[in-house]
Amino acid sequence: MLASLVLHLLGLVLLPFLLPGVINRVKAWWGGRRGAPLLQPLWDTRRLLGKQPVYSEVTTAVFRLAPLVVVATTLVASLLAPLVPGAGILPFANDFVAFAYVVGLGRMFLMLAALDTGSPFEGMGAAREATFAVFAEPALFLVLGTLALGSGHGNFAELMLPHGWQAFLVSPLCATALFLLLLIESARLPVDDPTTHLELTMIHEVMILDHSGVDLAMMQYGAGLKLTLYAGMLAALVNPFPAHNQPLLSALVSLALMLATAVAIGFVESLVARLRMRLIPQFAFVIAALGVVALLLATTQPELG
Amino acid sequence: MPLMHVATLSLLLGALLCIAVPGNTRRAAIGIASQVVATLLVLAAVGPVLGHHPAIVAELTWSYPVDLVLLRIDGLGALFLAFSMPLTLLGAVYAHGYLQPYFKSDRNIGVHYALLNFVSLSYLIIYSVENAMGFLLGWEVAALAAWLLVIWDYRNQKVRFAGFNYLVSTHLGVLFLITAFLVLFSQTHSFDFSQFAVALHNPGMTRNVTFLLLVASFGLKSAFFPAHTWLPRAHAAAPAHVSALMSGVIHKAGLYGLLRFTLLMGAPDEWMGWFLIAFALLSAVTGVVYTVVQRDLKRLLGYSSTENVGIACLGFGLGYLGLTWHNPVLVVLGFAGGLLHILHHAIFKCLLFYAAGAVYSATHSVDIERLGGLARRMPQTAVAFLLGGVAIAALPPLNGFVSEFLIYSALFDHSVVGGQNRGLLVLAATVLAFVGAVSAFSMTRAFGLTFLGAPRDPTIHGAHDPGPAMRSALYILSVLLFVFGLVPQVGLALVAVPAEQFIALTHRGLDVAQVLAVPLGLLLPVVGVSVAVLLLVGALAVVRKWASPTPALSHRTWGCGYTQPVPRAQYTGASFSGHLASYYKTLLPIKITQRLPTGPFPPEAYLRTHAVDAVEDRMFEVLDTGEATLALLAEKAPQSPRIAFAVGLLVLVATIALVLASTGGRL
Repeated sequence: MLASLVLHLLGLVLLPFLLPGVINRVKAWWGGRRGAPLLQPLWDTRRLLGKQPVYSEVTTAVFRLAPLVVVATTLVASLLAPLVPGAGILPFANDFVAFAYVVGLGRMFLMLAALDTGSPFEGMGAAREATFAVFAEPALFLVLGTLALGSGHGNFAELMLPHGWQAFLVSPLCATALFLLLLIESARLPVDDPTTHLELTMIHEVMILDHSGVDLAMMQYGAGLKLTLYAGMLAALVNPFPAHNQPLLSALVSLALMLATAVAIGFVESLVARLRMRLIPQFAFVIAALGVVALLLATTQPELG
Repeated sequence: MPLMHVATLSLLLGALLCIAVPGNTRRAAIGIASQVVATLLVLAAVGPVLGHHPAIVAELTWSYPVDLVLLRIDGLGALFLAFSMPLTLLGAVYAHGYLQPYFKSDRNIGVHYALLNFVSLSYLIIYSVENAMGFLLGWEVAALAAWLLVIWDYRNQKVRFAGFNYLVSTHLGVLFLITAFLVLFSQTHSFDFSQFAVALHNPGMTRNVTFLLLVASFGLKSAFFPAHTWLPRAHAAAPAHVSALMSGVIHKAGLYGLLRFTLLMGAPDEWMGWFLIAFALLSAVTGVVYTVVQRDLKRLLGYSSTENVGIACLGFGLGYLGLTWHNPVLVVLGFAGGLLHILHHAIFKCLLFYAAGAVYSATHSVDIERLGGLARRMPQTAVAFLLGGVAIAALPPLNGFVSEFLIYSALFDHSVVGGQNRGLLVLAATVLAFVGAVSAFSMTRAFGLTFLGAPRDPTIHGAHDPGPAMRSALYILSVLLFVFGLVPQVGLALVAVPAEQFIALTHRGLDVAQVLAVPLGLLLPVVGVSVAVLLLVGALAVVRKWASPTPALSHRTWGCGYTQPVPRAQYTGASFSGHLASYYKTLLPIKITQRLPTGPFPPEAYLRTHAVDAVEDRMFEVLDTGEATLALLAEKAPQSPRIAFAVGLLVLVATIALVLASTGGRL
């Protein structure tokens, strides 16, 4: 419990900066560059905190509220999501439903802040975020519902536990689905391009175009934390050591897996071109299809039938 | 029961006085006063019933052929009365502000208030009678009063058409209801619900047919897909408070009917549960997908009613499954979740319609494409709409999340036996997640484009928050969102007795208190999450203030290098929903009329898109061609002996078949 708690706190403080740093380093290597320091996002954040914010004349209180809601919801969500299998900070029945809806609240305010600026670019980003969420959210429920069904557990941490012979089939499918979902939810290639904010590629980066200073720092921290949560979910699912047997080992393996996820994202970002916007829902359908196959496998589990 | 009689009297007397007394201000005051009296009396009467007191019972004598009407207000009726009466009163108060421009004209406002009284009266009838004739009477009173309320602006042809459309649709529903009642009458030779219950307890074809007829009728009343076509028109045409009451309160009678007959029917068959779940999900999905493209705020809210009755009915379907599987936890989660959702929907839907009405009375438009930037000029209305939007998208920390979480808990319930059953429920949960995500999409679009950004149409100016009567309704409902969202004990206490009635259908001698504690146990941590979000937002606000001591600068929105932004370049409603809508072309056909520019000196060019309702479009098309085909046949039949012979033969065969069927094949 202690080890997983420490990992969690580490996850909240360090990983939202470290994981993007790792991704950027991997991309730099692929591009033949040396790359920025691993903790560059942290230094960027410190720099932003010292800057005077600028607010658009058009914006209202919603714009100022949005970074607070984004960070608050992601932090609360981080208390619900597991980073190691079998141990959540605040487990309760069907907490994964609460997780999805709390994240949804943050997303809504992110989009509203974008619309609040009256900028056509940001409106475009908000519309895309909203549209892709429509496809990503059911896929998340399908994957988590399948895991809950297969494991026979109702809370987020325990449903990630390896369970029976089905683990060999259901878990890899769900892990693949979660990885693809991570690419959508944390605005990564091939769905979104985090390095640009041109109107052809932009989703997340364009929605925060008008945020500055401490607000921008909060938005970026929120995005990093969301990436950490999804990487953590993936790690918890793949991690073969339940936290209650070998807590330290489990925490270390999870940490290594999260870093490996970041490396994998770096590989994807270096080797894959961004999809056309029209194709992104199809991308989400692939996730849903994986989920449906996993669900069919899980329902044939002998002890349930 | 005496309290209920006095309440009825107060409503009738109030209706009479409202019309008779001179002076619109006085008429409105009398209307509201009679509603206040009736509401207080009804709440005093039904309060104890919801607190585990026995049901209120009385008898009325009526002339032949009914003779005796039994009145009985049990937990279910008490719950519906307990929210319908106060919300209708609130609507009457709101109307005082909304109709203010008419107060000085020579129109008799009293008629409107009298009709509101009749709406309240219809609740008193529907939610208490135990007799088919009485039930139909209440049904008609509600339908006619709602119709007359909708056509308030009767000089407008579109409004008259919407009203007529509603009137026809609602009476189609009554036809199904009458058919169902006659089937039951043929079995029991009585119009009493207690006799119906005896007939409905026997599984078999009669019960199945009656169930389907009842679902059709109640589905039409509550605007389930595909019987929803009257709803967006009526809601767009009616005054805001009438739309609010119709969507949030009056048409919940359909769901009440479903629940009432569930109680009469006893343990249902398993197929009924799955059927209700499929029916509910179909409505939820289609209703919410329709909201994606609407540019009329009130029409959008109307479609979202179809979605929300679907979500509530999903809960009831799960409760049905719980009844057939003898799983009391599933019963309580399904029915309590569904009932809570009805209650919560009434609150947030009224709030949203009232906010939309405030927008309309300030700008004379509810067209998303023309509005924008209203949050600066109508801050209180904006907050109310935002809260309503968060609640209707089922996001924490407001009440919509609480009831949807209960329904999710039923869908993911571990006590369900059988891998296939659980797999199907997980799929249903996926569909519900889709509905929630689309709902968040639509509410972001509606709020973001109406209230945020810069004003799109320069001809709309001088908007301001509404007067005290309308504002009070916004305040009260906003507070209720938080109360039901953060203190689930309140809502659960209200639905406890009705939920107990459903458990009692198949589970006797069970520790009911233990089962009833299950929803609260599930909801408390969820409420903790909501509170944590609120506290954390507050704490972060303090931290941000402390971390950035320098005052912020103000500047124009960054236009990516473009320095002359115009409000018309903002993202529009059509562009916001264009991509998503393109995936649902069968449901959301977009009619385009255009004249594109051609040549070096093009004449005036335009492009208009118009999202039409696919079902209504098809319905009118069929009616149109059907009429033409019939006219053609009628013209040809006498001329062509072959057709006349064929028709005659068909009639003969049908008559013989009917005669044979009615004698059961024994001639």
